[in-house]
Amino acid sequence: MKRWFGFGTTALGAAVLLTASGSVLAQTKGGDVVIAITQAPPSLDAQVTSAQAARNVTLQIYETLYARDENAKPVPELSEEAKISADGKTYVFPIRKGVKFHNGKELDAKDVVASLERYRKVGASASLLSAIDKVTETGPHEVTVTLKDVQSTFLDNLSSPRAPIAIYPAEEAAKPANQINYIGTGPFRFVEYKPDSHVKIARYDGYVPNPKATGRDGLAGKKEVFLDTVTFRFMPEAGARSAAFEAGEVQLLETVEGATAKRLESDKRYVVYKVLPFAFQVIKFNHAQPPTNDVNFRLAVQAALDMEEIMAISYPDINQIDGAWLYPGAPFYTKTGTEKYNQADLNAAKALLAKSGYKGEKLTFIVDNLRANTDTATVVQQRLKDIGVNVELSVADWPTVSKIGFTPNGWQFWAHGYGIEPYEGPASVMAPWVNGTSQLKKDDKIDSLSAALNSAMDEGKRKEIFVEFQKHMYDNAVAMKAGNYGLFQVGTAKLKNFKPYRIPRMWGVWLEP
Amino acid sequence: MSRFLVKRLAGAFVVLVLVSLMSFAIIWLVPGDPTAAFLDTSATPDQVARLRQQLGLDRPIAMQMLDWYARIVQGDLGHSILLNRSVTAAILERLPVTLSLAGLALAFALVMGVLAGIVAAVHHNRWPDQLVMSLALFGLSVPDFWLGIMLILLFAVKLGLFPTGGYVPFSEDPFGWAGTIIMPALTLAIIQVGFVARMTRASMLEILNQDFIRTADAKGLKRAEIMLRHGLPNALIPILTVGGIVAGALLGGAVIIEQVYSIPGVGRLIIGGILSRDYPVIQGGLLFLAVIYLTVNLVVDILYAVADPRVRLE
Repeated sequence: MKRWFGFGTTALGAAVLLTASGSVLAQTKGGDVVIAITQAPPSLDAQVTSAQAARNVTLQIYETLYARDENAKPVPELSEEAKISADGKTYVFPIRKGVKFHNGKELDAKDVVASLERYRKVGASASLLSAIDKVTETGPHEVTVTLKDVQSTFLDNLSSPRAPIAIYPAEEAAKPANQINYIGTGPFRFVEYKPDSHVKIARYDGYVPNPKATGRDGLAGKKEVFLDTVTFRFMPEAGARSAAFEAGEVQLLETVEGATAKRLESDKRYVVYKVLPFAFQVIKFNHAQPPTNDVNFRLAVQAALDMEEIMAISYPDINQIDGAWLYPGAPFYTKTGTEKYNQADLNAAKALLAKSGYKGEKLTFIVDNLRANTDTATVVQQRLKDIGVNVELSVADWPTVSKIGFTPNGWQFWAHGYGIEPYEGPASVMAPWVNGTSQLKKDDKIDSLSAALNSAMDEGKRKEIFVEFQKHMYDNAVAMKAGNYGLFQVGTAKLKNFKPYRIPRMWGVWLEP
Repeated sequence: MSRFLVKRLAGAFVVLVLVSLMSFAIIWLVPGDPTAAFLDTSATPDQVARLRQQLGLDRPIAMQMLDWYARIVQGDLGHSILLNRSVTAAILERLPVTLSLAGLALAFALVMGVLAGIVAAVHHNRWPDQLVMSLALFGLSVPDFWLGIMLILLFAVKLGLFPTGGYVPFSEDPFGWAGTIIMPALTLAIIQVGFVARMTRASMLEILNQDFIRTADAKGLKRAEIMLRHGLPNALIPILTVGGIVAGALLGGAVIIEQVYSIPGVGRLIIGGILSRDYPVIQGGLLFLAVIYLTVNLVVDILYAVADPRVRLE
């Protein structure tokens, strides 16, 4: 564990040095960067999809009223600020003046109102705005949002990059889902989308940066573009991606396997980046089925598992052993309540199992065909065999598994990653367990904690609530967090000042000839 | 001839109805739907239900099936959920890519396979025969996706002779097109070269043992003339049959090769459709491939009569 945190500190130091040195290097304008991504975005209508493949592209084209800074804290982007009324129900957003859409039109309150209203109707995460009572244009550059009830996480929601609440021109926002022209206010403008091939974006020379921003800062901050164009090439085959990279046709690989990263690391022509943490590896229980509906059974499994083993096999060289349900460094991050994490205690597990109603029946572990997830399932299967639990793996593609995993029958265990939720913060981490969505049985404690978190305006109180949630997750083994994992990204050494983040940010970077 | 055509077309129609039924049924039997591509695992049941409604997936299956048949009789293969365009347009956009890939691969397979088969037959049981047959066996055995990656590593990464993948339309840049299509076509053809070579060799050996070949030899005709004027035309019927099978196999194989070389063709469209459960794309794509396959087979049957006048299509 120490080794990892040690490495993380070194990597962070290196990243800081890299960023610092970047500012004194001569910046070169021009060039096309080709980024190999594993799959095509399902849509470039940012509001209607929460797919990572879409975010990679759309967050370069569109902007939001509030966006997340480097530490995922909401900060103003297209809005100058948020004036919150004393009762916490009214938010007044003065809209920045002089901001231009890619079609040359100036952003005003009408665009913001139309975009928020559209999101409430067709947004992929429309529940982010479910607290809104009404959105009103209260001036040419002012929008007032009235909430039905106090929602402490409203600015968190408004700035969520999951399915971004992108601001479109009003005429585009009047169109149905997936029917818009791709026009935003971001530092890049849309150029072309060739299905099954690529998306191309180009520097928007009319971009008006946020005057208050000083440097690159998460998904907000100063967005200065040096590149002429960026091409996202859809390359599903890993071998083809790295071949294209080594042949010089691609300048950045969005994700590579550890073995490829290791091989390329020793070559001075390339730079390997670690995006760690990028997600949690979570093993879910189906609370609607025996024996995983039995808390003693779940606690037995929790006691048995060796998380270091799971993470070392599933994500070699790119994992962190950490039981907290937030990323290290996040404002609400705490290890309190995680004492039952990574016990690897087979005797305790057997004792708990004896108290459960498990009678040796065969249990189903559903998992998609992503190598790391099947590895996790396999390690869990072998470990549980040691305490006499009989687990069978059922591997299928993602649409199949994700369909079964939200139905109460046909599975007991399911492993997959959670990436964006911990980035967004405590409310998003709790959300999948509210109303029993993920565990398929309502958990009143989680529901009440979530409601309390959403209504508590006091930060100290919210932190307490989150600790209680974390403790509840472990005391009841609602689900198990195996650890944090990351991504290896590889870029050409000619790509300067690149700093990995949740999306490959293409502002602030340049290509050396 | 016309009676033959009517009979074959009626048979093709039945096959198409079966293909459409099966493609519809298989899709609905496999769990999952397109919402998985749009939403992440934190999506609430309400969000999923709303998206299903927006996409028209909440209607009864029978209604969706009737709609699908009503559309295909009008030549409309439906509307892609993810591409947000008509399936017909999506296929037609990608068709030239797949046809040029499969067409070039067919040319490679037939030319190289027939030549190799003739060489093997002429040098029957001698080293050229053994060499050709060993290479043919290698071609038949090697997985095409592995061969594709090896060729990329050698010719694109190490030697820099070809790009690693992608596609340039012929109309934009003929040299660029050749650069992007030759290596994938060769990869796709390798398995079929072995198949055609073995078939040609067997067919030629059978013909070369016939009396009329011995007579031609006794007459003092040159070896090459015997082969090309008397041997090959008579060996052509089985090769034509193989050609039909190969054309179908190449269309199927293109699905994998398009993935390996990142070529935006019909195969990649269908794979993408399957992975994201874009039902109209899968159904339309399968139906379209079935039409092509049936057409190729029909053309091969007609070519029999051209190659051998003794064959009566009626």
